[in-house]
This record gives sequence, structure tokens and C-alpha cells, in this order.
Amino acid sequence: MNSPAAYLVPASVDEAAGALSRGNATVLAGGTDLMPQANQGVRVFRHTLININRIAELKAVSRSGDWLRIGALVSVTDLLQNSTLRGICPMLAETADHFASDQIRNAATVGGNLCNASPAGDLSPPLLALDASVEMACHRDGRLQRRSLPLDQFFLGPRRTALAENELLTAVQIPLPPPRHYGRFFKLGIRPALDIAIISVALAGVLENRKLNRVRVAFGAVAPTPLRARRAEALLEGRILDEETIRAAAQAAREEVTPITDVRASAWYRSEMVSSMMRRLLHEAAGA
Amino acid sequence: MRGPDPEPVAGPAPRTIEGASLIGQRISKLDAPDKASGRARYIHDLNLPGQLHAKIRRSDRLHARIVSIDTSRAAALPGVHVILTAQDIPQRGLGVNKDNPALKGEKVRSLRDEIAAVAAETPEIAAAAARLIEVQYEDLPAITDAAAARAPGAPLLHDNKPGNLALTFDYEHGDVALGERESDFVVEDTFRLHYVTHCCMGVSGMIAEFQPNGRLLLYSNTQVPFLHKREFAEILEMDPGDIRIIQPPIGGGFGSKLDIYPFEPICVFLARAARRPVKLVYTREEEFIASPTRQPVILTLRSGCRKDGTLTFRTCTTLHDNGAYTSWGATTPFVMMQTISSLYRLPHCRYHTDAVYTNNPYAGSFRGYGNLQATFAVEQHMDRLAEAAGMDPLSFRLKNAQDPGETSLAGLHFRTCGLKDCLRTAAERSEFPVRHRRAAAARNDGSRVKRGVGMASMLHVGGGAKIYPSDGCGTILKLDDFGRVTVMTGASEIGQGSETVIAQLVCEELGLPMSAVTVVNNDTDITPWDVGVHASRTTFIAGNAAIGAARLAREKILRAAARLAKSDVDSLDLHAGNIIRKNDGEIVMPFAKLLRALHFSEQADLVMTSFYYEPPSKHQDKTFKGDVSAAYAWATQVIEVEVDTDTGMVRLLKVTAAHDVGRVLNRLGIEGQIEGGIVMGQGYAVTEDLVIENGVCRNPAFRDYKLVTAPEIPEMDISFIETMDGEGPQGAKGVGEAPAICVAAAVANAIYNATGVRICALPYTPERVYRALHAAGAG
Ligand SMILES: Cc1cc2nc3c(=O)[nH]c(=O)nc-3n(C[C@H](O)[C@H](O)[C@H](O)COP(=O)(O)OP(=O)(O)OC[C@H]3O[C@@H](n4cnc5c(N)ncnc54)[C@H](O)[C@@H]3O)c2cc1C
Repeated sequence: MNSPAAYLVPASVDEAAGALSRGNATVLAGGTDLMPQANQGVRVFRHTLININRIAELKAVSRSGDWLRIGALVSVTDLLQNSTLRGICPMLAETADHFASDQIRNAATVGGNLCNASPAGDLSPPLLALDASVEMACHRDGRLQRRSLPLDQFFLGPRRTALAENELLTAVQIPLPPPRHYGRFFKLGIRPALDIAIISVALAGVLENRKLNRVRVAFGAVAPTPLRARRAEALLEGRILDEETIRAAAQAAREEVTPITDVRASAWYRSEMVSSMMRRLLHEAAGA
Repeated sequence: MRGPDPEPVAGPAPRTIEGASLIGQRISKLDAPDKASGRARYIHDLNLPGQLHAKIRRSDRLHARIVSIDTSRAAALPGVHVILTAQDIPQRGLGVNKDNPALKGEKVRSLRDEIAAVAAETPEIAAAAARLIEVQYEDLPAITDAAAARAPGAPLLHDNKPGNLALTFDYEHGDVALGERESDFVVEDTFRLHYVTHCCMGVSGMIAEFQPNGRLLLYSNTQVPFLHKREFAEILEMDPGDIRIIQPPIGGGFGSKLDIYPFEPICVFLARAARRPVKLVYTREEEFIASPTRQPVILTLRSGCRKDGTLTFRTCTTLHDNGAYTSWGATTPFVMMQTISSLYRLPHCRYHTDAVYTNNPYAGSFRGYGNLQATFAVEQHMDRLAEAAGMDPLSFRLKNAQDPGETSLAGLHFRTCGLKDCLRTAAERSEFPVRHRRAAAARNDGSRVKRGVGMASMLHVGGGAKIYPSDGCGTILKLDDFGRVTVMTGASEIGQGSETVIAQLVCEELGLPMSAVTVVNNDTDITPWDVGVHASRTTFIAGNAAIGAARLAREKILRAAARLAKSDVDSLDLHAGNIIRKNDGEIVMPFAKLLRALHFSEQADLVMTSFYYEPPSKHQDKTFKGDVSAAYAWATQVIEVEVDTDTGMVRLLKVTAAHDVGRVLNRLGIEGQIEGGIVMGQGYAVTEDLVIENGVCRNPAFRDYKLVTAPEIPEMDISFIETMDGEGPQGAKGVGEAPAICVAAAVANAIYNATGVRICALPYTPERVYRALHAAGAG
């Protein structure tokens, strides 16, 4: 592990973006990805380490208009415990409940999970299924600028995102789910928690009369990036969740993923689980 | 039985004259406060003045000739004191076959091979220097498959080991051909047992210091300090008497610290060269890569029975992947043979093992010592034969179970034998017969999540194991003027609770509260000899030694008291810190007062006693027969599982265990031991898998090596079958290894009960189970 040459603790997004604009910096949030990677030598600290944990704005959860805004530093424990979040997005709490251990949940942040861009990151599938966007900030022309990008355009590859070197991820924005919104997350691992997903899947939509509308299906750990299964979504859209529809959607999802074989599972098993878990979630939705 | 247990007590329960005793009470471990509050000082916390830190440079190749080693860049790094390579130390092999030199000079045979070692000012400098050592290799063809290693023409790992054969074992009783002719049903399977490793929270480590007088002081995590004195002396060409081993609190052993490994002499040679204390502690990754594993085995078992369910024969052949060097793993057949030959009454038996060298990691001893592997096979065959004979698993086992007083054809004499009670108790408390029938009937009901129950039993040594010239343990007792007792025992505490049980047994004899005892058990200059922590022997052997010393002290005290009180020795007793009259409990005098009276008298004397206990067991003969243990432990576990056929996920719902433990000494301790053992067995069965692909460990971290965590631990119902073994301390038998042994076998049988699919390879990870169900068309 190398050591950074400088260490900054900005108090505002503006200050942090200013520091980032000088280049050659590494952002530290909860450190639960960064530190193990640095210890293993797979990640090198740049010249300046910017600890963003004192930026109050990034810890906030707020509702404005039709949007829910989750600050980048909101922790996985917050997803479980914050009553606003739980009320609006129970699926995120369900996800958090399968995430790591208490100690890691306290430190791990939403922003860190997305910026780390692991194909197996747990928060990506449910956030994709909730149509989330990410908000990013940087200094341009000496001024703080913010932009927003749909999450499904954010992931470019394993550990690669659309975040520019001088940008800070500031928040995740989720359109307030409509009435009768239904969302489920399922993570398959050898252990019920404290495990990296073999595969994960999120299913969301408006559920009425055994039909799903505005269907979203998203998978983790089955492709270079977390991904939406758009063909499966199209097959499900507005249809009665009967055996045939479920089977067709599960088959479509299976064809949309491109899993690999690694120490956790084979590609074949991952593919099998994509259709198997898809079927299970859809059956549950049909019975809900 | 579990259930309405006696209330937990902080100290010992108040004793009444009628004799309420410490035995069977729930007594907190003496080291619990230190460990629970983080105050225990493990080897990691110890630092000596002037100490250097060591790092080992390991091989980058599986199998290669070493062409050159260039240490010049490493040596130039500021803060580096010493770098050693093979040419700096004697080339003496370690381990069972003496095939493992501490530093390899000519050849490397696996990725854990030690090539060079650095001692430097800080661990970081040592690590950086180790990386700077440049090694040139000339690759040799590697073999990472045990069957391929045995094939004619396979490259040899060790020139003097033709056929790559490290060890072989053969055992036979009766005539298996005759047995097979007499069989109405015969089954055969090949079982594949994987690599797992101990995962001690306290990783391997040592601090070595040469003292000004030339003696060597080792701070070590070893489980066998007295054997190590001799081993180190041989390697270092020293007098064993000049070696002192101190064990700081040990963060778990489970067998991993039972052999001498290259890092240990390396640490000592560095200290000798540097003339400074040297500390060498593994990182977690190193612990995964370079500490021993459980023995992987490919085991083919053929078993038969008659129509009425009587077992007729068993033939077992195993292929042990020995890895590149030979440690204790290769000798697991000693124990495996016992299970194959003697777990049930068996007229005909043949056993054969080949342990072959490969370029894989090597295995050591690990809680159960081959018995998990053997039991996995035997107990699945018990179910298969039962089914073939149209019997239920319980009656089939009862029919073949042995009774107290029997001697198996391997010569194991079962003075006490609680197997039938274990079987009946576990079956009854788990409602095994109905659940088993119900689950089998519901197999094809179309549900995605199935339940099943499985049963398995085990036999293991419970009264030591006579492997070495002596299987004994010594104890010295010192009583002071204030009525306090110091127990000096050779038996090491590695977390198993031996210290507490030894103190308890001494207090029981002397009528003292637990607070009156100090146990000294970690310094070879002070404590008397013991063979080491293995074979579930410590409570049994060290317990008997402690009782022996305590009884001598008791006699001496009572004699002196009788003299002083002018009464008859037989009329006195020791109770609650006093000398009392037996008939009415009247206090004659306080214990401490008597000790002072004895000390400051005309015939001034202190009460100090010593006792050496050697169990009445025998060495096995050349054919591996003989009564090797003074007692045998038995158990039956019934495990209920849930199998999700959509994912292959197996969940353990409930473990109902009945263990013949002889007698419960410390109830809290034995419950902890059994619960912990079951969880270790669960890891072996379901989640743990050290993935070795072509000689490379793919998951040397807890991220991908999956220990069982709290949410997966099943409900447990533990019953104790108290057979009161005549030779045991207060009737107890060893139980250290027993609880881990039959978990995997019971899970295998439960999965079969739930799904109708038998899976002969471990672990039961979702993918393996899903594949098997899929292949059987049941998924
Ligand atoms: C034991 C353990 C268990 C784990 N279990 C899980 C699990 O179950 N599921 C799961 O998904 N993950 C798991 N993780 C991974 C990790 O905890 C999560 O990905 C976590 O959300 C990362 O957040 P963090 O705040 O710790 O990120 P950090 O480690 O601080 O940062 C991660 C990366 O994102 C960058 N970054 C962070 N915040 C920002 C920002 N606001 N703007 C720009 N860049 C930023 C950092 O520079 C770094 O590159 C586990 C990790 C450990 C150690």
C-alpha cells in the first residue's frame, strides 16, 4: 500500500470540487472498498486523499417535488433505518438487509457503492429498477456545476463509470414511486448476508390485477456492469403474470445476461439462477 | 440433558455436606474475561526490545529448479538486517517424511515453498525486501492431480520417492471376499473430500530470542511444546534442554499447530544470525496459503449387508493428495481405519491408502483427523444399505451397533459404549422416524423447497491415543500459606477450556472454590511434560494427572489435620475451604490455617505434589490393531435441512446431537465445545471451500472463503449420554473433536431424504447441489 502525499477534509461540496479540480486526487467515503483495495495493492492512492465525510450536504435525505434525493454519504445502515427512505423505497431497505455486516453497513455509503462500480454491487440493481439518476458536481470555469445522469448510463464497465476525474458524486435522485408500486430485491449468496452476490436481481413496477406496468428488471453480477433486462421488461409490460409470461420473461432475461465463471460460481449456474430467480420473483409478484 | 439446566454460577455452587459438587456445573472459562474484553495478550501483541520482523519469500512457481537467488537489492534496502537462503542453514527435512527443508535451495515444489527469509526493522521493510529478492527458475512439469501423480512416467517430486508415493497404509481383518459372498446387498461409491483450512483467529506466529547464556527462548503458538523442544533441537543442532517454549494465549489451534513448519526454524535461524529477537507472524493471506489444510481425499467404499441388515464387509481405498511435503495429513488413515473397521460390528474389512506427492499445498492435522472424511463415506453407506435392506436408518444402525464390553476386530476395547443410547436419544428428541418417513414421502410433491432429516454417528478416541512413546501428562501442585493452589500442568490451553476443567477437577478434590486456583500451563521450564493437545486427550489425560496430584495433596493435608486435631484421617474431609468432620460437617480448621501450621512447625513442610498419568492404552501393532485409547467417544447427530431446489441452497434447520461424553464436567464448557464443533462441521459440509486450482489457492481471504456466520447457525438440541467411564477423570471422556465429525454425513443423508439425490462430494454449496439435482432431473 502506498501513502497519499496530502490529505484534505473539505467541509463543502464546493471545497471538495475545488480540490478535485486540481487533479491527482482520490476520494474517500466510507473506505470499505477503497481501503481493502489499497491494502491488496490493486488500488493506488493518488497524490491527495480527499476525505468527504465532513460534508453535511452529502448526508441528507430529502424530498422535493416528485423526487427523493439521497446524499452520496447516506450509509447502508441509513437505508435500513431512515423512516422516510423505508417508507418510500422499501426495496432499498430489503437490499440493505442483505448487505455485508453491521460494521460495514455503518461505514459503507450509497455513493461509494455506485462509484466503485462492481458488477456485483448490491445497490445498483434496485436503484436501476427505481429509475434512479446520479447527480455529480465539479468546478468548471471556477464555478461549481452540477449535472445529472440516468444511472443506467453511469456504469461503463467493471470499476469504470461516467464520473470524470474532477467530479464528485453528490446524490442519487429517485422519482417518487407511484401508488401500488411494487419492488423486490433478491441476492443469491452462500450466506444470507456478509457475502458477495453470485447473482442479484431487482424487480419493480406498478402492480395491479396481477399485471405489472412500468416494469423494471435489473441484475447484478451477471455482466460487466449492473444491467437492465429490457427484453424481459418488454415481455412483462402490462401482461398478466401467468405461467407462460413468467417463463418467457425468465428465458429472455437469461439470454440478456453474459455472466462469467469465477471462484464464486460458474457462468452456467449464474445463467440458471437468472431465470430461476426471475421466475421466483415473478411468481411472488403474481401472488402479491 | 439440556433443558432445565442448573442456574449459571459465577464461582462454584455452595457445597453442602451431602456433597453437592462442582462436577456438571456451568463454570465460566478462567480466561474468558481477558479474551472477551480484549485484554488477552496474543503473540501479535508481544514485542521484545530490539526485536526484528521477519518475512518469508515464497515460490512463484509450482515446480521448478532454482537457478539462482539474488538477494543484493533486498540487502541494500535500509533497515534490512539479515537475509537467509538455503545455503545459510542446514538442509534437514521437517515433517513426517523429513522431506521438507525449512528453506528450499534446489527445487520448489509448491507455491508455498520457502526460498528466502528477511529480518528487518519493520514488517513493511521486511515485506518490501522479500519482494526484492530475485529468483530465477527453470520450470519443471507440475502435477496437481493425485491420480496423475501416480501414473507411470509422471514427473517425480522427490527423487527418492518412486511413483510419488509418500506413504501407504494397509489394514485387514476377516476375509472381505467371503464377506461379499455372504452379502445380499452391496453398495459402492466414490467420495470426494475437499480442502478446507482451520481459520484460527490467531494466525501462525513465533518470536525467537537467543539469551545471553546461549539458551533459546521461543514464544510460540504451538500445540505441542514438549515435542517441539526435541524437534527444534534436532534442526538447530542444540541440546533440547537449552530450549524454552512459552505459549502466549493461543488464538485457536484445531490441529493446525501440531507439526513443526518451516517458518518456525526460519524464525530461529534469523534470530541466531541477527543476534536480535525476531518476530514472524503470518498475514491472513499467508495463513490461507501457507498453513496446513484438512486432508483432501478421494475415497472409494464398498459395503455389504445381509437381508436382515447385518453388516458383512467393507472395502475402502483412498487416495490422499499429499501435496508437496508430508505433514500429519498423510497420516490421517490411522484414524480413518478405526471408523471404517470399528464404528459398527463388522466381520470383514480391508483398507488401503496411497498418499501421493503433488505440487499442491499439503495437509496437516485438523480436528477429527480424517474422521470427517471416513464418517462421511461410512454413514452414507449405512443409509444406502438400510434402504436396500428395507430398513429405516435407525434400526439398521441399532442392529449393527456395538455394546459395552465388546472389542472390535481392530482391537479397540469399548469398556463403555453409549452408541445405542446416542442413537435412540437423538432419534427420539428429533422425532427422526416420522420426519424421515414423511420427508421421503413428500419428495415428489412438486414443492420447490424441500425438507429432510439425516442421521449419522461417529466413533473417536476419547481417552488419548498412544501414538508417541508416552501418551502421558504431568502435573505439579503447589499450595501456599493462604490456601491458594497453583496447578502446573503440561497441558496447553488453546481455547478449548482445558485450564478451567483442570482447575475444576483440582478444586473438587480439595474442596476449594474456583477462585483459589491458578493454572500455569504455558512454560516448558516450569510445567511438567505433556505430549500435546491432540486426539481429544487433554481433559482425559491432563485431568487424570491433575486429579492424581490433587489426591496426593489431599491425603497429605488430611493426615496432617488428623495429627493436629488428634482425630482419625477417615473421619475428616475437605469442604468449602475448610477441614471438616465428615459425620456432622463441623469445621475443624480452615484449609489455609492448616497449611500454615504445617509450614511453620517443627517438621516444617510445604504441600507440593506431583503426579504423572499414563493411560492404560496400548500402541497399535504393525497391522494397525490394538487398543490405542483408554476410552472411546460416541455420538449420533440428526440434522434437519431445507433444500431450495431452485437455487441448490441447503440450510441447516436443527441439529439434534447426543454425545457419549462419559460424564459432563463443566457443562458450559462442553456445550460450547459441542456447539462450536457442530458449526465447524457445518462449515465443512456447506460453506467452506479452499479452492485450489492447478496448485493455486484462489480464495486466500475471508471474502471468498466462507465461514459460517451467526445467522446460519441452526437450532441445536444437545444431549449428554453419561456412561461414567471408569478410567476417565470423574468418569469423563474426551470430546474435543467429536462434534465436528458426523455433521457432513448427516447433512448428506438429510439432502438425500429431502430430494432423493445422493451427493458424494463436498461441500454442499448451492451450485454443487443445484447441479446434482439438475443432473438427476429433480431440480
Ligand atoms: C467485509 C465487506 C463486506 C462487503 N459487503 C458488501 C455487500 O454485501 N454488498 C455490496 O454491494 N458491497 C459490499 N462491500 C463493498 C463496500 O462496502 C460497498 O461497495 C460500499 O458501499 C462502498 O462504500 P464506501 O463509502 O465504503 O466507499 P469507499 O471505499 O470510500 O469508496 C469506493 C470508491 O468510490 C469512490 N467514491 C466514494 N464516494 C465517492 C463520491 N461521493 N464521489 C466520487 N467518488 C467516490 C472512492 O474514491 C472509491 O474509488 C463489502 C465490503 C467489505 C469490506
